[in-house]
Amino acid sequence: MTEVVIRTDGLVKDYGDVRALAGLDLAVHRGEIFGFLGPNGAGKSTTIRVLLDLLRPTAGRAEVLGVAPRDGGAELRARIGYLPGELAMTGRKTSGELLAHMARLRGGQGGDRIATLAGRFGLDLDRPIRGLSKGNKQKVGVVQAFMHDPELLILDEPSSGLDPLLQREFLDLVTEARDRGATVFMSSHVLSEVQEIASRVAIIRSGEIVDVNDVRTLRNRAGQIVEMRFAERVTSERFTSLPNVEDVTVESWSENGTDGASLSCLLHGEPDALLKAAADYRVVHWSAQDRELEDLFLDFYRVPAAELVTEEVADGGR
Amino acid sequence: MAADTLPVLSGVLRDQRRSLAMWGLALAAVSAMYIGFYPAMGETSDIDAFVRNMPEGLVEAMGYDEMATPAGYLRSTVYGLLAPALLLVFAIGAGARLIAGQEEDGTLELELTSPVARTRLVFGRILALWVDVVILVAVVALATLALVTALDMELGADKILAAATGLLLLVLGFGTIALAVGAATGRRAYGLAVAAGLAVVAFMFDAIGPAIGVDWMTTVSPFSWYIEPNPLAEGVDPGGFALLAAVPVVAAVLGLLTFDRRDLMV
Ligand SMILES: Nc1ncnc2c1ncn2[C@@H]1O[C@H](COP(=O)(O)OP(=O)(O)OP(=O)(O)O)[C@@H](O)[C@H]1O
Ligand SMILES: [Mg+2]
Repeated sequence: MTEVVIRTDGLVKDYGDVRALAGLDLAVHRGEIFGFLGPNGAGKSTTIRVLLDLLRPTAGRAEVLGVAPRDGGAELRARIGYLPGELAMTGRKTSGELLAHMARLRGGQGGDRIATLAGRFGLDLDRPIRGLSKGNKQKVGVVQAFMHDPELLILDEPSSGLDPLLQREFLDLVTEARDRGATVFMSSHVLSEVQEIASRVAIIRSGEIVDVNDVRTLRNRAGQIVEMRFAERVTSERFTSLPNVEDVTVESWSENGTDGASLSCLLHGEPDALLKAAADYRVVHWSAQDRELEDLFLDFYRVPAAELVTEEVADGGR
Repeated sequence: MAADTLPVLSGVLRDQRRSLAMWGLALAAVSAMYIGFYPAMGETSDIDAFVRNMPEGLVEAMGYDEMATPAGYLRSTVYGLLAPALLLVFAIGAGARLIAGQEEDGTLELELTSPVARTRLVFGRILALWVDVVILVAVVALATLALVTALDMELGADKILAAATGLLLLVLGFGTIALAVGAATGRRAYGLAVAAGLAVVAFMFDAIGPAIGVDWMTTVSPFSWYIEPNPLAEGVDPGGFALLAAVPVVAAVLGLLTFDRRDLMV
């Protein structure tokens, strides 16, 4: 049986009249990289703040490494590395001094890894914090989250502000942590940030989880755009009825006296039937492109809030 | 003190060292300047003329009737006015900033999510504030002692120590109130407003009460607990000082308890 490292049951959090979390159910397993995705204001940071005991649940329950965050207290937080979504740092002290301070708060843990991690991200430890660019501040955040080699990493939009090269370095750092046995819970707006490394993702919208899936299933659902050119005419009927094939369009053309056709369609899963059907004709060009998961994702995002409200009203009226 | 309070305390002190040094210099300069002015007082009758033209009640309230003695002079300048005013500005500002200010600007987030209990974070900050105030009051007391000795003024070191102790307790009280209100509400402005408001009321009650003959005003005013009777002349007033000492302790406990219970909006 897999051990659950983060669990929330019907978690509700209100800020005054604003309901930020409306019954959130989540289970993150030990050793996985879990993507927590949703649009602005969906409740990602709120969830994370409950896990770190900055906020107390209005209703429902949260459990981290087997205990409620409030009961776990300081001992629980010693086992967590946290990267805030909006890292606020000011003052004259240098990033090195700040990181040394964080190590002292951890009873000295991680102090010896500061230099290595800073070197890896090209962070100058002698520069004062208040002059640092957004990306450099984010590096400080990354170093303090990873330096004590925690068994659970909670990262709120971790790669914001990092350039592509450092994003790659960051993803490497995350996979290394996972390979050492750590569990990683990371939030993001966009799937592309996490799809490479996450095993599962949850999609949150308006304070509720609308989908949890492993990335392979999601990708499968997103499908591939297949395009083919034939050196002869084809009929779209030949393709529309095929299994795993959708949205077939066929365009016929004539060029230098030859007749041909272009076909494009959306393929989910196994391409066997499509390939066999195409083999009946002379194929001169072929391309298959993974559809951006982002497209699928936008389908979730786009459901207008008004529709949700009417759904709830309808439910309540029953 | 638990081991994890120490890094919190030292972290805050390290952040503050520059501003603390500036405040120390300013307080030393202001104290020395005013005390150094004392010998000139005896030589000119300007002050006498100035005092004679003021309403009697006000003269007494400000202690100007005793201006001719070192104890009276120091009370009406440095110990009754300038040092408390400057120290309260420092302590209330620092107190409100240390929890609520840092919560509002988000800089508290990393410490809050580190393996240090919330109560330890607050306790470390209270201690840091107290250390600051002890240092600054010591600066004032040492400047006083140095000038009093140099100018050969008739004022015992024990009396200076008594006044400095009262000043310390007074400032600790309002500074800790600012910190505690900030810790309870998460709003720096509330900490500033409550502590500064109370300090002003305390000062006004001490000044107005005797002038209009209303006893309860001095009974409830921490400023009166500190300065009535004048510790520079009479030494420690145990009753008043005990009341003064209770304020920071009670405020600290309330701050610790409330901070542990609420949502933190870093
Ligand atoms: N301190 C607060 N007071 C009142 N409402 C808040 C507060 N913080 C967040 N909210 C509201 O709660 C909801 C969830 O916010 P949250 O910050 O958790 O979203 P998020 O998913 O992290 O968004 P983003 O992607 O922009 O970071 C939003 O509607 C937000 O406006
Ligand atoms: Mg957020």
